[in-house]
Amino acid sequence: MSDHVNGAAEGTVANKVPVTITVNGRTHRADCEPRTTLADFLREDLGYTGVHLGCEHGVCGACTVQLDGSTARSCCMLAVQADGSEVTTVEGLAEDGQLHPLQEAFWNRHGLQCGFCTPGMLMTACELLADNPDPSAEEIREGISGNLCRCTGYQFIVESIQEAAPKMRPAT
Amino acid sequence: MKAAAFDYHRATSVDDAIQQLGAADDAKVLAGGQSLVPLLAMRLARPTVLVDLNRLADLAYVRRENGELAIGALTRHRTVETAELVRRDVPLLADALAHVGHVTIRNRGTIGGSIAHGDPAAELPAVAVALDATFRLRGPGGERSVAAGDFFFGYLMTALEPDELLTEIRWPVLPQGTGCAVEELTRRNGDFALVAVFAALTMGADGVCTQARISVAGAAAAPLRADNAEQALIGSRVSAADAGAAADRLAAATDPPNDIHAPADYRREMAAVLGRRAIQRAWAQANRTNAGE
Amino acid sequence: MAEQSAAGLIGARVRRQEDPRLLTGRAQFVDDVRLPGMLNAAVLRSPVPHARIVRIDVSRALAHPGVYAVVTGDEVRAAVATPQPVIWRMIPDQRMTDGYPLAVGKARYVGQGIAAVAATDRATAEDALELIDVEYDELPAVTTLEEALAEDAPKLYDEWPDNVSCRATIPKGDVEAAFAEADVVVRETFRFARQMGTPLETRGVVATWDPFTDRLDVWLSTQSPNLARDLFGEVLDVSVDKIRVRVPDVGGGFGNKFDFYGEEVVAAILSKRTGRPVKLIEDRLESFVANAHSREQKVEVELAATSDGRITGLRGTVYAVLGGQLATVGIGPCWLTAALMSGPYDIANVEASVVGVVTNRSPYGSYRGWGQPKSNFAHERMVDLLARRLDMDPLDVRRKNLIPADAFPYASPVFFYDGGRYDECLGLATDAVRDRGWLRRRDEARGSGRTVGIGYSFHVEITALGPSRIMNMAGLQHSAFDEEVVRIDSSGRVTVYTGQTALGQGIQTALAQVAAEQLGVPLDDVTVVVGDTDTCPYTGYGTGASRAASLGGGAVLTASKRLKEKVLRIAGGMLEAAPEDLVVADGRISVVGVPDRSVSMAEIGDAAYRRINGRLPEDEVPTLEEREVFDPPNVAFSYGCTAVLADVDRETGEVRLLDYLIAHDCGTVINPLIVDGQLHGGAAQAIGGALYEELVYGPDGQIQTTTFMDYLMPTASEIPAFELLHMETPAEHIPGGFKGMGEGGTIGGAAAIAGAVDDALADLGVATVALPITPPRLLAAMRNGQVQA
Ligand SMILES: Cc1cc2nc3c(=O)[nH]c(=O)nc-3n(C[C@H](O)[C@H](O)[C@H](O)COP(=O)(O)OP(=O)(O)OC[C@H]3O[C@@H](n4cnc5c(N)ncnc54)[C@H](O)[C@@H]3O)c2cc1C
Ligand code: FES
Ligand code: FES
Repeated sequence: MSDHVNGAAEGTVANKVPVTITVNGRTHRADCEPRTTLADFLREDLGYTGVHLGCEHGVCGACTVQLDGSTARSCCMLAVQADGSEVTTVEGLAEDGQLHPLQEAFWNRHGLQCGFCTPGMLMTACELLADNPDPSAEEIREGISGNLCRCTGYQFIVESIQEAAPKMRPAT
Repeated sequence: MKAAAFDYHRATSVDDAIQQLGAADDAKVLAGGQSLVPLLAMRLARPTVLVDLNRLADLAYVRRENGELAIGALTRHRTVETAELVRRDVPLLADALAHVGHVTIRNRGTIGGSIAHGDPAAELPAVAVALDATFRLRGPGGERSVAAGDFFFGYLMTALEPDELLTEIRWPVLPQGTGCAVEELTRRNGDFALVAVFAALTMGADGVCTQARISVAGAAAAPLRADNAEQALIGSRVSAADAGAAADRLAAATDPPNDIHAPADYRREMAAVLGRRAIQRAWAQANRTNAGE
Repeated sequence: MAEQSAAGLIGARVRRQEDPRLLTGRAQFVDDVRLPGMLNAAVLRSPVPHARIVRIDVSRALAHPGVYAVVTGDEVRAAVATPQPVIWRMIPDQRMTDGYPLAVGKARYVGQGIAAVAATDRATAEDALELIDVEYDELPAVTTLEEALAEDAPKLYDEWPDNVSCRATIPKGDVEAAFAEADVVVRETFRFARQMGTPLETRGVVATWDPFTDRLDVWLSTQSPNLARDLFGEVLDVSVDKIRVRVPDVGGGFGNKFDFYGEEVVAAILSKRTGRPVKLIEDRLESFVANAHSREQKVEVELAATSDGRITGLRGTVYAVLGGQLATVGIGPCWLTAALMSGPYDIANVEASVVGVVTNRSPYGSYRGWGQPKSNFAHERMVDLLARRLDMDPLDVRRKNLIPADAFPYASPVFFYDGGRYDECLGLATDAVRDRGWLRRRDEARGSGRTVGIGYSFHVEITALGPSRIMNMAGLQHSAFDEEVVRIDSSGRVTVYTGQTALGQGIQTALAQVAAEQLGVPLDDVTVVVGDTDTCPYTGYGTGASRAASLGGGAVLTASKRLKEKVLRIAGGMLEAAPEDLVVADGRISVVGVPDRSVSMAEIGDAAYRRINGRLPEDEVPTLEEREVFDPPNVAFSYGCTAVLADVDRETGEVRLLDYLIAHDCGTVINPLIVDGQLHGGAAQAIGGALYEELVYGPDGQIQTTTFMDYLMPTASEIPAFELLHMETPAEHIPGGFKGMGEGGTIGGAAAIAGAVDDALADLGVATVALPITPPRLLAAMRNGQVQA
């Protein structure tokens, strides 16, 4: 069996590929070109514009989403690859109108200025706290070092994550 | 920064992948995509077909076989880094992985991708060279094994044929009494190394070095095995002077690139500094292991 | 959010109104704007630094499926009325470059726009760019300052005698005499690498130019919507009533989004051609050539001093390494380096010159701090070097020369400094350094392979720019006042309309705090509307130069005060009390001492808009709205002292910042949380500039840093924790006393870091004279004494 999709037919607009993907609990089916990145697909085709593009080459982290339970740079994946996956974007963090503890903490501690890095920071911080529920400031800095922020100088982001940590720890 | 158009093929088996690779002129394998997708976006890579390995679950594993650790090419960095088996049997690999980019990159990036990409500044090719890993490759003509030392030719050049797939990397298990150290110099946390030294020293109970495995990333067009430094250490007690002398030999063997991040002489000099630090740390760790700590 | 009582809102550490949208992915940045029928554009950029454009063939691109239009430089030239405007013209006889949105005739830097395509989507537009054939006749390039100034250097502009665009000298006192009589003279030359603001969101525009009505509707990620609207009008020859500039959420500006770029004009022209909205988003790779670069200068300085460390004269020359054409701000930033060369010091004789030189590099524009990080580095390093020469403590040299508190207003070579307590601020920093045990940490590290040093810098920051008349006199082809509107609606809620834009600096919350406190309403009752030239008032200049909080805040304060008077008059009528006997708190107006006799702001709103008869006093005009134009009588100078504890690895040349503190005075603080955030962010950019960031050009004129792998913005791991110490000396000439502080963190950092590095390596006599201080350069300096580029 083979699963081949033709996207580069000479001189024509490339054929589109059907992709089924669950984003923040909702299943979407849409067609996209093979060359479309997951980031562009989420933003342009599905309207999840909370996914931001700061570099499109894997360095800034603004496009970070959760993919099947761990973080991924959505600019470094093709949408076709995410077929059948479950994705969480920043839009899926708050539930029932209640901000996620990290969102609340970023708000309290001024962990954002322009907000462009924020979606990626939040997704990364979620994973960081899941892996290490009580990180030191240095561990937080290391943990978010794959997410560039040009505005904050990071200090208030570190404090925000520290503030959220106890609220996200599983009760023991 | 949008990729040029290409065809996409989701491989259903290793054979299917190999067949697809052979069927087109400029086909390329897509593994974790952490190097390839940015290159596509910059239009620096322009394959006609991408053959996606990501559904080949049977290429993702870490297992102990015949006294070696066998790791499937599609195993993610993060899986390998956190695998108990790897920590125990090939700790240098786990240590090195912690230096590859950031967690999010390692969640997706694959062991096979890092090896196949063959970046001379990357950690995994250098560790593979230090530890005498072997690579299992499969092509239309069947399977072959290539020693890490024979695999990397030059900048992003490897022994892989265009229609071949890297399927598995086999790592010799490090003996008792081995201490490991990674010393890496980067401009920023998570960046590719300006220079990095990987060392695994095995110390006998008598305090004499019985085995040394050392390599350098970022020091030449391909990862560099520091045989001369290793020879200098084996049989020594790895005194500070021994470490320094070995590191100097290591540095002398480098032929580093000159680029915007650092001139060649700086890299060479740093190879000596990091080499010494790595040897001393590996030595100290080996002694602690021997002392049962 | 909990109801915030209005009293004491100015100065309150409240969280921002902006945040919930940004935190939940509900913001709208320019790339999120999607209009019906919208096309996406991409720009073909010059691959060569200097060439005559012989021929451009776009036929294959035009024929490509999905392509709607292709324009070339010549076509754009024909479609515009003027070259790209240069608004800062401080030097009247400056040779102007008269550049167009796309290259006309000649390409003068790698990345200069050559042609542009509009297509169904960005990928298709990029496909089409590959089908445009351009024939270049390559010319020899001048890629460095030295090459540009060499005799017989190739010329960028054939009609000029050389590559010098301008020269000017700013004098004060008698410098010749000061140097003739000096006990000591210290000389040094400083080099600053190219860097840029690099907001995480790149620039972008969506333009709809209706071919029938001539209405131009633009979404623009900009700091200066009114300026952009006026310049669109000039360049496209459209009256501004037909132009609307809307600013969506902006993912950082830092000066990069102050300038008016060619792409904005190109998008408009493509829209008119195609009859469709056109989106043009700069991608990260092109951002490194298409964004205004900044910082690159060579600065030569000489200090004359007495043997006891009193500075008697300063002479300096700033060589501005301009690019292939002038950006919107022209020589502005580099002129400012010269104008502020004496910094916070009382120096009687100063002569600072600026020489603007064109090179085959990207244009030089704005970046947070403008010329000030360089002037600061120059004067602070000179003070350190003077101290070293005289074997004095550099802090003593600073104390001896800082402008004393009783000398204000102080006439510097160009500006009047309004006021401050510089000496006290220095003391605040030095006391903190002592209390935090830095000296002990330095001593403990001595003699090991890693040594630790302490560095200081003292900075002044020009803010509240500025009096329009003075700015016009200085050469600004635009105004610099601020206009705001404060309105209470029929439900008693407050809306502030401002021409300032929101770039992440919290301007909405800050202005809401000012209005809420003045009007006596809860903070959550105030909404601040920004970013639309159709609905918001006119602001001269734009959001930059640390002017939003001070000028906007001042105007909102005055407008709110007047509005409150009207509220009290109406309430007085309703409560049958004299306005003087009323107090406002939490949105209720009550009679002093009789809290039961009160009306709510909602009732006042209702009376002013709806049920007027019998409730609104006969002599009051309906509605509740006040408008205030604030053109300040002077700029305002904030100031601060930065202290840095740095660790140097003597084997690798790596510098690690262990501790970092800033003592700071920006007048009345509106929101300390926001001020802290601004200082942190500015300091992080200073650190990036001091240790990491550099736009590198090869000898062939090719830029070598076009990714985030190569242009090294610091991550959280490279940035230390910051400690901030505040002083508040209100600006007397600004209502509310607010000064700006958007740039302070950026200005003083590099000199303090360099000072700490030199201190850590004091036994080797290292003098850091170039930025950034990279490990290879520092290691070389340990051997030859100077950190050079
Ligand atoms: C921000 C950032 C930082 C990074 N930092 C580091 C770092 O510090 N150190 C480091 O080593 N790497 C770093 N990387 C690269 C990352 O580790 C990549 O994941 C890795 O180099 C490639 O692995 P991949 O699985 O993603 O491969 P892909 O990107 O999918 O492929 C890379 C290349 O290998 C080929 N290939 C992949 N798998 C196979 C196979 N099984 N058989 C044959 N050919 C194959 C592909 O065709 C392609 O040419 C970084 C990446 C980013 C984005
Ligand atoms: S946009 Fe994906 S990492 Fe920057
Ligand atoms: S808040 Fe602007 S980039 Fe982080």
